[in-house]
Amino acid sequence: MTTARGPIVHYLNQFFAGLGGEEAAGHEAVRIDGPVGPGRALAAAGLAPDVTLACGDDRFGEHEEESLGTLLAWLDQLRPAVLVCGPAFGSGRYGYACGVLAREAGRRGIPVVTAMTPDSPGVIAAEGAAYVVPSGSNVAAMKDVVPVVARLALTLAAGDQPGPPDEEGYLPRARRANVLVERTGAERAIELVLVKLRGDVRTEIEPPAELVHPAPAVADPRTVTVALVTESGCVPVGNPDRLQTRRAATWLRYPIDGLGSLDADAYTSVHAGFDTSNAQADPNRLVPLDAARALERDGAIGRLHGEFYTTSGVDTPVASAVAIGREIAAALREAQVGAVILTGT
Amino acid sequence: MSSTLADLSIATFAIHEVVEGTRTGRDGSTLVVDVPQLAVGARSDALAEVTVEVVRPDDPVRIANVLDVVLPDVGADDLDGTFPGLLDHGRREWFPTGRIHRVDGVVVLSVCDWRAAGAPDADELPDAYVDMAGPGVDRNPWAGDVAVVVRCVPAPGVPVADADAAVRRASLLVARALASTTLGESPDRIDLCRHPSTVEAAPDLPALAAVLQIASEGPLVDTFRLGRAMGTFAPTVVDPREPLAGAIVSGAYDWPAVRNVTAVYQGSALVRELLAGHGERFRMAGLVLAPGYLDGADEKQRAASRTAELLAELDADAAVCTTFSSGNSHTDTMLTIRACEQRGIAAVGVLAETNGGLTDHVPEADCLVSTGNEDELVDAWTPERVIGTEGDARVGEQVPTWAYVGACVETGDARLTAVPA
Repeated sequence: MTTARGPIVHYLNQFFAGLGGEEAAGHEAVRIDGPVGPGRALAAAGLAPDVTLACGDDRFGEHEEESLGTLLAWLDQLRPAVLVCGPAFGSGRYGYACGVLAREAGRRGIPVVTAMTPDSPGVIAAEGAAYVVPSGSNVAAMKDVVPVVARLALTLAAGDQPGPPDEEGYLPRARRANVLVERTGAERAIELVLVKLRGDVRTEIEPPAELVHPAPAVADPRTVTVALVTESGCVPVGNPDRLQTRRAATWLRYPIDGLGSLDADAYTSVHAGFDTSNAQADPNRLVPLDAARALERDGAIGRLHGEFYTTSGVDTPVASAVAIGREIAAALREAQVGAVILTGT
Repeated sequence: MSSTLADLSIATFAIHEVVEGTRTGRDGSTLVVDVPQLAVGARSDALAEVTVEVVRPDDPVRIANVLDVVLPDVGADDLDGTFPGLLDHGRREWFPTGRIHRVDGVVVLSVCDWRAAGAPDADELPDAYVDMAGPGVDRNPWAGDVAVVVRCVPAPGVPVADADAAVRRASLLVARALASTTLGESPDRIDLCRHPSTVEAAPDLPALAAVLQIASEGPLVDTFRLGRAMGTFAPTVVDPREPLAGAIVSGAYDWPAVRNVTAVYQGSALVRELLAGHGERFRMAGLVLAPGYLDGADEKQRAASRTAELLAELDADAAVCTTFSSGNSHTDTMLTIRACEQRGIAAVGVLAETNGGLTDHVPEADCLVSTGNEDELVDAWTPERVIGTEGDARVGEQVPTWAYVGACVETGDARLTAVPA
């Protein structure tokens, strides 16, 4: 169903694209003309895909860069009016692939709708770039979710803005759009506080939905590998990898194997949010390598991980901070780190 | 009644057109600007070059490296009292009283490319734009006003603080010169700003106070009160008309969208609303200047507690807590809200959002005003001309909202807000 704004494109995994079951999970990305599998259900709901893209779940997960590159190249070529990914239901690998593709397509300005369980890793991976319709965990939810996906996708394909999440049936995207309103912030603030005095509490900003709770205590630190992580902007002198001084969207890691402490001639801070004079005089106050080595020597901790992880935590958008945290945590898990000393500034 | 409580009146003169001429003056709603004369008047030894340029609404122009925005004001019966402490060098006592003439429809923009001038740490200063047309125009709170751009180039070897003082003085002098064209003339409107203590108000009306958070951290990130950099200051109760009368001037060039430029203090929508509603819908309890961007947790808590204590001494039932810039200072706002609520003072916070959340939050902050999402990208635009830089000024690129001066200012002066998308 090509619209004036471009074709409708649908993304599926190997199973729903009819390429095979688990034995085909390594299937490379393919492009198929017309609707396939759930695409036919979408067509019945008024949204007929012109092109179906598909990839094996394992292939996407194990060769993400390559698979994503292929899929995005097709999207760049097709310039779709809307991309629909899934529904992925409760499948973690499929949901993740849908979320990542949705995120990258969204960054290219392509409207995206996907569907999966609210706890799917794909919801996080989408980073608010897609409209995610919450679904049940298995294919039995297809009949309920497809009409919602089709309606949303049709709205987007027409170049229109969907209504609010609770009316249109998608998960809040944690995205906030700027609008100009009639009254100044001062007028609105006075109104809000006057009604608050009357017991009617209203707000224009909802409190954060995600609270970070302290991790449970490490049962026996003597048995775990401990890593040093910092948002203090601690980097080698000269900042060779150009860590941003503020609004950082990336993180870096530097080896500390064989070092007893951080030398002031070798390490500095590029953090733009505090007076770094004292920290530059002794970078161990940013990354407490000297103290951690003492703990290691005394046997209080099992072993110090061979790299420290660093970023600049100042004026960082929450979405970037979440992504940085997740990426560092994944790297630490892979390195079998059991505990972290996280220094903040 | 002592002179400190005498009335302040702000007489407004509407300008609908600005033309260039051989002598700065006013002809009805037309302002005639002698550009070379204004530039000459703004020169100083600390500046190698000063140029003045007029840019009109809808001109396809992006103005880059914008430092400050100033409303053209002049003290009608006290010329030297205009922007007190800065144009009179703080030589005498001053009160926010008397009559100010203000030109409406024109703003003065100071522009300086600190990077090109080689100022230390200039790389840390973010891009700062004002778009007069294109998709970014609704991020410009002064989009409907003519911009008189005062572009300054520091003289080689002059310390940055001295050069910055000269830039500030240049823009204030131009602002005063433009407003001086109204002296002896009848205004279009007069706003009488009486000290609330001199205006009858029923005691059963709720008492509202304003907390104006300000930071002042050193050259290029300072705020000036009566001509002096405020530095680290204790929360202070001031005459609420002080900002309206030009006592607070910006020298802080951090994040543009949440930058409290001088025009924001002069306009002070919050103070004006509180003064206007005093005796009718509520009582105005007062204005507290509170420090923001404090370095340590103890300092932050002390300032928040002291602010709430002052509000209690003012018998405030409720407070509107504004914010200065983003990140760190949001913690100051949150702690202030908590301290207020713990004293039984209902609090509302005024804050900009970053995409997906707030830098800090306390459970007591159940009533917040959003001044917009700093991280939203504005569509790419290619202006016909860029003023203020020889660099690329993100022409043809998407520009984050944070780069637009005043777009999300957290004093309540703008009309931008963020809604779920």
